[in-house]
Amino acid sequence: MSWALRDKIMLIIAVLLAAVYLFPLYWMYVTAIKTGSAMFASPPSFWPADPQWSIYRSVWESRNVGRYLWNSVVIASGAVSMIAVLGTGCAYVLARYRNAWVDAGLFLVLMLQVLPASLMITPIFVGFSQIGLLDYPRTAVILAIAAKSMPFFVVLVRATFMSVPMELEEAALVDGNSRFGAFFHIVLPLARNGILVSAILIFMQAFGEFVYSKSMIQAIEYQPASVGLNSFMGPNTNEWNNIMAYAAMYVTPILAIFVLLQRRIVSGLTSGALK
Amino acid sequence: MKRLLLSVSDGRGFDIALVSVPLIFLFTMAGLPLVYNIVMSFQEVDMFSLGTIFRPFVGLKNYTTLFSMPETWPILKNTALFVIASIAGQFIIGFALALFFWTNFPGASWMRGLFLVSWVMPGLVVGAIWNWILSGDFGVLNYLLRESGLITGHIFWRSDPDFSLWAVVIANIWLGISFNMILLSVGLSTIPQDLYEAAELDGANVIQRFFTITLPMMRSTIGAIISLGLIFTLQQFDLFAAITAGGPNNSSNVAQYWAWDLSFRQYDFAQGATISVIMIVFVMIASVVYVRSTRHEVRG
Repeated sequence: MSWALRDKIMLIIAVLLAAVYLFPLYWMYVTAIKTGSAMFASPPSFWPADPQWSIYRSVWESRNVGRYLWNSVVIASGAVSMIAVLGTGCAYVLARYRNAWVDAGLFLVLMLQVLPASLMITPIFVGFSQIGLLDYPRTAVILAIAAKSMPFFVVLVRATFMSVPMELEEAALVDGNSRFGAFFHIVLPLARNGILVSAILIFMQAFGEFVYSKSMIQAIEYQPASVGLNSFMGPNTNEWNNIMAYAAMYVTPILAIFVLLQRRIVSGLTSGALK
Repeated sequence: MKRLLLSVSDGRGFDIALVSVPLIFLFTMAGLPLVYNIVMSFQEVDMFSLGTIFRPFVGLKNYTTLFSMPETWPILKNTALFVIASIAGQFIIGFALALFFWTNFPGASWMRGLFLVSWVMPGLVVGAIWNWILSGDFGVLNYLLRESGLITGHIFWRSDPDFSLWAVVIANIWLGISFNMILLSVGLSTIPQDLYEAAELDGANVIQRFFTITLPMMRSTIGAIISLGLIFTLQQFDLFAAITAGGPNNSSNVAQYWAWDLSFRQYDFAQGATISVIMIVFVMIASVVYVRSTRHEVRG
């Protein structure tokens, strides 16, 4: 067997495996453009005979998808900016030194990373309601998400700072820069890509956040798309084509970002989890 | 004042300022709630005392009530089942895929990255899709199982108490495969290739090489991945909310969903806090294992 043939066979198996794995995603897009009767046909058709593209427009208008998505964007951007401003400096210090204090700080950060949101929401909700923060529900959710996701961001960005050679910063200091100047003019620009990828990862997570928003945002006009999707799916729903159209509109922007930045996102993810 | 400013812009103060603000934020937003959670689990909390801080302490009453509830043990059993089945499924399939892509053919790393799509999808979307795939009458999974002759009738995945937990497990395995695979791939790529060449010269076959080189060399990676899997499965909430909502009759309920359900559906915040405390202890144990297994890398 020649090597080229082996490569071809492996590639074909890989494509088949990916097709099986990604079938749920395909099924979402196909169901979304089916008619009501085609959706419940038996046997189900795996290729839409009569695609209903207008369904996107009608769901967009009837379910107010624009408003939900806007709220998701507001919440995710708020959380990411907060995390980026606070977390970058923290990651830098944790990367630059190596002593017992840094070890203790890292341990703390790693431990905070693992607290499940659905268990933390009870005290957060009661505490926020006591200090009146629940009157600003989106701010409350942004704060909660920031606290939840910042440890992950710190771990990712710390790995980036570790790869910036310390000699460059020292050279800048010798040339008369202050620590402040060296950080903003030398270290930050060099770590920019890593910080950006981590911020995008956090953004995608916050964009799909559910527990905090569901629990703390009662007013429907402030709810993000995840809560909207949840209330769309009643226990005995049969509008699956509409629900899948909603889901498709929700997830497609994220998938587009993922496909564009796939290589960077994958390397960012792996460096964070095992380092 | 001037010295302080100088220190912040050009000395130790700079580092302390950078690290203390986020740590104070994390302490108030994650540390305090943790403490508050423990306090609440020893208090009597209802809708009327929600706004006050000084609530009557009731000792261990919340804990004794919790363990005398008829649903407690079945739900804890479900949690254990959910965690074990999810991790086993994710790990085995993920390891198989990682080994497959490790054989290194053109396009392997790109195809492998494609699997990570599930990782970035919102949990509610994944739940909605699986809810539809697992639907009893018109679900495509039932159709495929029937056509392949594995089942004869319909399985009502979401409403049959015997299957509802497994419906969520299936969705969770799908969600977790990608993450297991990618981390195991990273682990595999760190094994020096000459070990295999030496073993091959000594006449070890594929299976012997797997058990004597691959598995031992991957020990710390596998430890980290299993404990991370435990942490992530205990965080899984969205799939329950989207697929079964813990029903029917708690047959698919797990502790992390139940805690939320008690607090926000039944407004029993004290019981919600009590379960949270118990579960957080478990998560903490898992995370200590995780941190220990990545320790040498944390230290650099």
